[in-house]
This record gives sequence, C-alpha cells and structure tokens, in this order.
Amino acid sequence: MGDDLNERIAKAQAELDAQTRPPVRDTGKGLGLGFRMASDFVAAVIVGALLGWGIDALFGTTPWGLIVCLVLGFITGVRLMVRTANEAGKTAGDADAGKVKDEGDGA
Amino acid sequence: MMVSADPMEQFVIQRWLPIHIGGLDLSFTNSALFMTVGILLVIGFLAFATSKMSTIPTRVQSLAEIWFQFVDGIVHDVNHKDGKPYVPLVFTIFSFIFIANLLGLLPGTFATTSHVAVTGAMALFVFALVIVLGVWKNGFKFLKIFTPSGVPWWLIWFVAIIEFFSFLSRPLSLAMRLFANVLGGHVSLTVFAGFIPQLAVGLPIWGVAIGGLLVLPMVVGLSALEVLIAFLQAYVFAILTCVYLNDALHPGH
Repeated sequence: MGDDLNERIAKAQAELDAQTRPPVRDTGKGLGLGFRMASDFVAAVIVGALLGWGIDALFGTTPWGLIVCLVLGFITGVRLMVRTANEAGKTAGDADAGKVKDEGDGA
Repeated sequence: MMVSADPMEQFVIQRWLPIHIGGLDLSFTNSALFMTVGILLVIGFLAFATSKMSTIPTRVQSLAEIWFQFVDGIVHDVNHKDGKPYVPLVFTIFSFIFIANLLGLLPGTFATTSHVAVTGAMALFVFALVIVLGVWKNGFKFLKIFTPSGVPWWLIWFVAIIEFFSFLSRPLSLAMRLFANVLGGHVSLTVFAGFIPQLAVGLPIWGVAIGGLLVLPMVVGLSALEVLIAFLQAYVFAILTCVYLNDALHPGH
C-alpha cells in the first residue's frame, strides 16, 4: 500500500513538473522590466562611484580610482540592461516557459 | 485657508512609544506600527481564508489560493523544482511589500516602504542569504558567478570585474527601486493634489473649475497608477529574489 502511494505521488509529481505552466504574469510585465533596468543601471553606476571613491580614499590615488571605477560601473550598468532585455526577449519569444532559464546568466 | 505645503512631511518618523535600551533607540514608531498592521493583516487574512478549507473554495479561500499560487508560479518559473524550499521566503517578502505599499496609499497612513532603512534591510537580507546559501551549497564553486561560461580566456578577468560590480550593485538596486518608487509616487500624488486647494485659493472662480475638472481626475488616475506600482514593485522584488537565489543555487551558468 505504501509503495503504491509513493508511486502515485511520484507519478503525480512528474506530471506536475512536466507541465508547462502558462506564465502567470503578463499584466504590467513590461513596466516591471523597465523599473528593473532603470534601477539596475543607476545602482551599477553608483556602486562604481562609491567603490572608486573608497579606493581613492584608501590608496590616495585621487582622481584615477573614481574615473576608472565610474567607467566600469557604467559598463556594468549597460551590460545588466542588455542582459535583462535579452532574457525578456527570449522569454517572450519562447512559448515554453520552462526552457528559458537554463541559459539565464550566460550572456 | 491654510494649505499644507511640504510634500515630505508625510515621511517623517514619529516615536509613538519611546523605548531606549542600553543606548539603542528601539522606539515604536509610526513606521513600526504600520509594518505590524500590515503583517497582522496578511496573517489575519490568510488565517481567516484558510480556516474552513473546502475542495470547492469560497471566494475568500480562492483569493488566498490565487495569491499563493501567483508567488508559487513566480518561483517555479525562475527556479523550477529547486525553488520549492524558498517559496515561503519569497511569499513573505512579496506579501509584506505588497501590503505595506497598499496600506501606505490609504490617507492618513504611513508608507513604510518609502524609507530606505526598510527596503535596504530586506535587500541586504536577500544579498546575505545569496552569499551564505551559495557558499553553503557550492563551496568554492560559488565564485563561478563571477566567471560566466563561454567567455574567451583573454577577456575573463575583465568580465569578472564587471560581474563583481553587478553583484555589488544588486542590494542597492533592490532597495533603491522600491523606496524611490514609493517615495516618488507619494510625493507626486501630494504635490498634484496640493494644486487643487492652491488653485481654488489663488484663482477664485476659474481655479475651482480647473482644479476640479482637470487636476482632480489626474490625481484619481495617478492613484490608480500607484496601486499598480504598489503591486509591481512587490512583484519585481519577488522575482529578483528568485533570480538571485537561482545564482546561489546554480552559479556559473
């Protein structure tokens, strides 16, 4: 009896996992994506500025740490936005929601 | 007629029950009160909705089910099967932010999520959890999040620096987005609503007409937008928590 139940649970679970759930969230998805990109970009630039400032204060390399890290932060911000856009494009282009995430952060 | 002019006044923290323990200021503030109210509302609603469970759900029960399944769906979409243990965490974060945002929209309440202390605490918690979980589950391999696969060797050091920056920017991004949106939404609502009495006082007859016919519908529309944003911010916070947890579970994709 116990084995039977386990089998049934395993079978039901497999069916659940195999299901391609329709994406639950379509309303306002684009708006959410926009918020995400905007604040990711700003945050990356701010982190660059803070890190550069900190390095300058620690090692006395005054303008250079800030300049280099600010540029790096800017690059990071653009990269984050491009990555988010790519992922969103993939999710939108792919009807099967289950396949998408595996390539998530590979870009 | 006196018109309250300062749109930032609504964000002032007031100590309603001063508690000082060993030099620490642990006073019960208006912010703390509305956080407590929000949490109690969530717990109360869910407890009420699930108190008399039936296979054919009542309206309240199906509302609770939709709520839970929505969050469960987010976690499932991002983390697939591995996400199951983190559904309660994401559900808590989502519900708290959602209810706190909605509560803050009611007149006379305090928007707890408009303070970077609250959103920052949640963001840092997620950040710390990702690090602890990543190191615990993967050990040294957790560092792979800084070296994504498929990058040529002569570029990897540069990508690693960029990835490090993006890793550090996560808590800032999480905290900033939530608090800035709630703060900005409340300020713009207050400022636009403030135009109505200002117009009425400044331009005796036309001011009332302009204020009533043009500004008031706009404020109503803005309020609706704020409700949407209240939900969206909770949703974005929840989905990003899942995305970051995914990095901790599977570094180096």
